[in-house]
Amino acid sequence: MTTSAETVIAPARVKTAATATVRRKQGFQHGGWFVAPFLALFVLFVVWPLLRGVYLSFTDANISGDSASFVGLDNYREALNDQAMWDALGHSAYFTLLVVPCITVLAFLLAMLAHHIERGKWLWRLCFFVPFLLPSTVAANMWQWLFTQGIGLFNETFGLDTPWLTDKSYAMLAIVIATLWWTVGFSFLLYLAALQGIPDHLYEAAELDGANAWHRMVHITLPMLRHITGLVIALQILASLQLFDQAVVMMDFGPGPEISTRSFVQYTLEQGFTSYRVGYASAMSIIFFVIIAAVALARMALLRNREEGGR
Amino acid sequence: MGRPDLDRRHLLAGLGGLTVAGSLGFAALGTGADALASSASTRVRYWNLFSGGDGANMIAMLDAFRKANPSIDVKDSTLQWGNPFYTKLAMAAAGNRAPDLGVMHMGRVAGFSPGRLLDPWDEELLAKYGVRKEDYNPALWNRGVIDGKLYALPLDIHVQLCFYRKDVLKKADLLGDDGRMIPVTSTGEWFDVLKKAKKVQKKGLQTIGLWTNDQNFQWWFFVAFYTQLGGRWFNDDDPANTEVLFDVDKATRVLEFFRRHVTDGYVIPGAPTGEQFINGAPFTWEGNWSVPVFSGAELDYGATPLPPVFGKQATHAESHAFVLPHQAGRGGATNEAAHELAAYVVTHALQWAAGGHIPAYTPTLSTDAYKKLEPQNEYVSAMDHQATEPKVWFAGSTGVLAQDLGPVVVSSTMGSAKPAAVARTMKSHLTKLLASKNPMDGKTAAQGGAVA
Repeated sequence: MTTSAETVIAPARVKTAATATVRRKQGFQHGGWFVAPFLALFVLFVVWPLLRGVYLSFTDANISGDSASFVGLDNYREALNDQAMWDALGHSAYFTLLVVPCITVLAFLLAMLAHHIERGKWLWRLCFFVPFLLPSTVAANMWQWLFTQGIGLFNETFGLDTPWLTDKSYAMLAIVIATLWWTVGFSFLLYLAALQGIPDHLYEAAELDGANAWHRMVHITLPMLRHITGLVIALQILASLQLFDQAVVMMDFGPGPEISTRSFVQYTLEQGFTSYRVGYASAMSIIFFVIIAAVALARMALLRNREEGGR
Repeated sequence: MGRPDLDRRHLLAGLGGLTVAGSLGFAALGTGADALASSASTRVRYWNLFSGGDGANMIAMLDAFRKANPSIDVKDSTLQWGNPFYTKLAMAAAGNRAPDLGVMHMGRVAGFSPGRLLDPWDEELLAKYGVRKEDYNPALWNRGVIDGKLYALPLDIHVQLCFYRKDVLKKADLLGDDGRMIPVTSTGEWFDVLKKAKKVQKKGLQTIGLWTNDQNFQWWFFVAFYTQLGGRWFNDDDPANTEVLFDVDKATRVLEFFRRHVTDGYVIPGAPTGEQFINGAPFTWEGNWSVPVFSGAELDYGATPLPPVFGKQATHAESHAFVLPHQAGRGGATNEAAHELAAYVVTHALQWAAGGHIPAYTPTLSTDAYKKLEPQNEYVSAMDHQATEPKVWFAGSTGVLAQDLGPVVVSSTMGSAKPAAVARTMKSHLTKLLASKNPMDGKTAAQGGAVA
């Protein structure tokens, strides 16, 4: 009996193992091959350049591709003492501080408007979202015209004579206004979708309990949108820190009046491609990578704590 | 960057990429077809940075060359000027995919690693096609000479000019008997001229367009007036070249001069310069490339070199020059054809002069056709008193020097920093730059990195 039992069990085991192997194989065939092209491109265009960038940051490589010598931490030491780099980081951070709260509030208000309005709903949605579809150069060029002193529509409309693009007190503000108009559509869309996902019966029940519009907003709408708000803020911080193209185009590829709008990305580019210091520019990119990663991790940690606290 | 990504956009971008890749494939086919169709035996690949009116002029000159030399096929490519151009040229030369002929700004040549990214010209070959050193202004020719070899063959000089409206100046009695602006030899005289012009000009316009908040123009104007004062940058005639000779007092005088235009109300900061001039502003300081624009607007105007308000004539000058990007196996028929093409364009530069540039090839200047060009004939003397940036690796059009010092000059002109303080800042920038290593050859300017 024992033998027969063993004989019965053993093939079964073998079979199970074999099936798993087959499944694993099939799994790779079906899934693995689907992701392979992406994986290959990811390695080729993200992982490899990143590793190469880390390597270059320890050398004095120039743009000509000549052999470079190893300089250890020199580039990092220089970067941390480079006032121009800190200024550029300050400009990127200042831009982020201005854009993120504005865009979050604006996107929410526009979404509420588009959600509750009865007539011509599609038109409002289209108006709020369409600017986002423009390429950055088009949007930035448009706003450059609008802001031009003397002939620009912006000053004309509001009866101002503000040197938006040529005075350091206004230049960054001009870029912020253009960015708000251009990118608010994306966050607006996220909010609109989330608003539509709040079940009607919550509002109905609240109304039966005598809650007015303000109560419904504070106790239902805002809490239900908490996750989306977190997402919008996080995405906007990461995107705003990487300020580059709209600023560069609006300032005619320069650093803005008295270097007031030169972002971190722009300064890195200048070091790499005007001063031909590829090694130094690589070190700055890595520093920036660390800063952005730290912001993203901090945000994740914060969110996890909040969720755990909520339970 | 500046906003989160959207998947659909990625997809569209991907499709765009495919389209581009596809068209490149077709372009490659096209090149092959071109080569088959053309009877030319030699093909010269030529990169330039000329767009707009300059671009049209250059293409007309190339067409004339093609007609005159059917055995040479010229494949020209126009790239975005400024740093994108220099980056591409450097990388192409480093990767041994360099074109046979290129164009650069003269000031950038010293920093472009002559000998490694650039090949020297064969002066005998140039002479064979009609271009000799004797046909050039010596100062201009020598700007292209590094370590005794010619690396840049000048095509033109382009200068900053003082454009003036004859119709307005006539009313203010500021025109001489020859119909040109009366000469100015001191800052006092210059501000008197502005004062008189302001009295008769149209209301609501500025008196002079000065590009007060443009870092490039302010830097160019600074170079001009600082040179008028006899100011120097470094002791670059000494091989040690370790000393910064920048004169803070002279620099302060120049910066105060700029600032006064704003404080006395002759400039509207940020106002467009060329447009206001066309609308009736009496003066504007602009590059000579504005000549076709103002002539096209049919204005009654003239153009002189920047006024010698500090006593000595000097106006900022840069040059377009032909270069031979480095090729491992340079030589043979293609190299000779590149010499022939460059020599042809240089010696046929009358067409080029129509764009406002002063031809570098002096026999052109003495032709009757050139002497008849208005207002070109009024500022041709600028050739003899060029104010240029120092010959160091960090100088030249949109280079590190301009990028570092331009915004500082602007801060003084616009009034957010005091001229004397700004002059000191400029000196500290120059000291830092002189000590910094050229990323191309690892030497500082003091160690003789690519200085003649």
